[in-house]
Amino acid sequence: MIYLFQLVNGIGLGMLYFLLAVGLSIIFGLLHFVNFAHGAFYLLGAYLVYDMTERGLNFWAALLVAPIIVGALAALTESVLLRRIYHLPHTFHILVTVGLALMVQELVIILWGPVGGNVPTPDALSGVFILGDFIYPQYRLFVIGLTLVLAIGLWGLLEGTRLGAVVRAGSESTDMVSLLGIDILRVNTAVFALGAGLAGLAGALAAPIRGVEPFMGVEALGIAFVVVVIGGMGSYTGALIAGLLVGIVQSIMTTLWPEGARLMIYLGMGLVILTMPRGLLGRA
Amino acid sequence: MLNRRDLLKLSSVAASSLLLPAGLRPAFAAGEDITIGAPLPMSGPFAANGKFGSMGTAMIVEEVGKVLDRKLGYLEIDTEGKPATAVRKVQEAMERGVTLFAGGILSSEALAMGKEVAKGKGVFITTAGADEITGSECNKGTFRWSVPTFGAIEQTVRPLIEQLPNAKRWYTITPQYVFGDGLLNAAKAIFKEKGIEHVGNSYHSLTEKEFSGYLTNAMAAKPDALLILNFGSQSSDTLRQAVSFGMKKRMTILLAWASGLEQFETLGPDLMEGVYFGAQYWHGIDSPFNRELVAKVQAKHKMNPNYAFASAYLTTKILIDAATKAGSTEGSAVIQAMEGMKYTGLTGDEEIRAADHQVIKNYYLLKGKAKSAMKDKDDYADIISFGKSFQSPEQAQCKMA
Repeated sequence: MIYLFQLVNGIGLGMLYFLLAVGLSIIFGLLHFVNFAHGAFYLLGAYLVYDMTERGLNFWAALLVAPIIVGALAALTESVLLRRIYHLPHTFHILVTVGLALMVQELVIILWGPVGGNVPTPDALSGVFILGDFIYPQYRLFVIGLTLVLAIGLWGLLEGTRLGAVVRAGSESTDMVSLLGIDILRVNTAVFALGAGLAGLAGALAAPIRGVEPFMGVEALGIAFVVVVIGGMGSYTGALIAGLLVGIVQSIMTTLWPEGARLMIYLGMGLVILTMPRGLLGRA
Repeated sequence: MLNRRDLLKLSSVAASSLLLPAGLRPAFAAGEDITIGAPLPMSGPFAANGKFGSMGTAMIVEEVGKVLDRKLGYLEIDTEGKPATAVRKVQEAMERGVTLFAGGILSSEALAMGKEVAKGKGVFITTAGADEITGSECNKGTFRWSVPTFGAIEQTVRPLIEQLPNAKRWYTITPQYVFGDGLLNAAKAIFKEKGIEHVGNSYHSLTEKEFSGYLTNAMAAKPDALLILNFGSQSSDTLRQAVSFGMKKRMTILLAWASGLEQFETLGPDLMEGVYFGAQYWHGIDSPFNRELVAKVQAKHKMNPNYAFASAYLTTKILIDAATKAGSTEGSAVIQAMEGMKYTGLTGDEEIRAADHQVIKNYYLLKGKAKSAMKDKDDYADIISFGKSFQSPEQAQCKMA
């Protein structure tokens, strides 16, 4: 019975991990860009919600506005700075985005202080869902539901729309898409903003669960990379499967071998790298 | 207009000025003055604690002004929360003639600095938590103000069991390292003595942030009380998630090692209401010296002193008083003055035990208040009980060299 609880809990965790990682994966898929600032966008999303709710704004409004602001900031960063370094080797991507992440982190400390804070769960969802012995916070159920809807919507966007077709084509051959008369620079900016906005949304959703503190971005980045590496760089379905896998493994391990719950995630990643270097669903 | 070459020149100048050793900034000119070292994490994840600690040191140093007819000053030393950096900077300070140090918030840095200061025949007083500081790794130069794990559990779990006779089943969540085991073993001993059923324990790693899995285990064991034995942001995360799982309504929650006001500000009254907390210090302590300090800090900084502030203030004061009593700042003389010293402290009458250099002071059990019951913005909790519980130096395994 307890394993069933842990399974559900793991799915909840996994959906959050998916949301966190899918943006990173999409950005890598199209732009072949390693974005170490992804955690910083997550951090910003969480702090924006914190700031807005502290000022008395409704949580739901904050949840909507925060990812949009993060996306807009990301679009600006991409068009001013990042697009100038796409053609450089990955080491430069890492250098610039790590620098960016550190700047955002310090900025958060300057603006909101080093201590962190609490974001109250919205009243409508502050209760728990009870079924027999099974107890689960309503807010976490909401996060699972919302992420599921988003996952389907995102899949529809990538598979069913013209923008999605361009994105997928662009990830195969940027030059060819450019030759077909499509403004790939704008597509790049849009995709980067979408990816970062999703990280911002993940941060915003996580804020009532985790609270906010200036170093939460680093932890999120670690998990996002694990999920992307297991799922395969650039793969949408891979991110979903890997997110769920990591969440479930982590949750079930807290019953089986609690001390190693975190270790198992990284051990799992190591195994995938050794046996399937491209990840579960990664392409060449 | 600024061209690229100028910009490069400017930024190289800026960069090199940033590289100057910022960690060693004397607040007063050295020389004939008496300088107290304040090794605190002024940067990194624990910078907030360091900042308040430094404010506490500054306040007492300014207040006293002169010791042994010499001007008193302090040296802020940024440990960055890293033992190696802390040791290096403390060595540098000792080379400049500093013999007295009050600081060290993290156990790892405090243990390392204590050894280094003792080696250099100086005196170090800290508020860090690890039992070893006045236990198996005690030494002649190191003193500790905070109550170790044994007393923290004795003064929280025991009174709570007495208050809640129906809470027969307890579940524990413990970080897996020496500190966590110290708390856990002390709790198990009380459970055994009182006939409490320990229905389970979840160990977790020191980097864990997600506690829903552990809480699911805890709920499945259907305890009457949940005892949280981690500290800092991990304990805030555990409590926040436990409340979201509705556990506050189903059981009593005790967070045995809370950091007080600093932590309560990040938790807020919604999470804290009805939850029990253990604390080394609380600004609401009803003792003459504490009331005096609270009034002074409110007048000067328009805030209440938190644990980092108050403990830095008091530990620095202990060093100053001991130097005055000894008539010298030489390490061995100050140590002799401190051993067995009795004084009026923030928690009432306090005493420094000579055998292991542990300060004998109160530890507090607090209970979180509802937002509507708070009299001011910092009135997060009431003191339920307090007292002094300490292992003997032999039980704590201190063998002073």
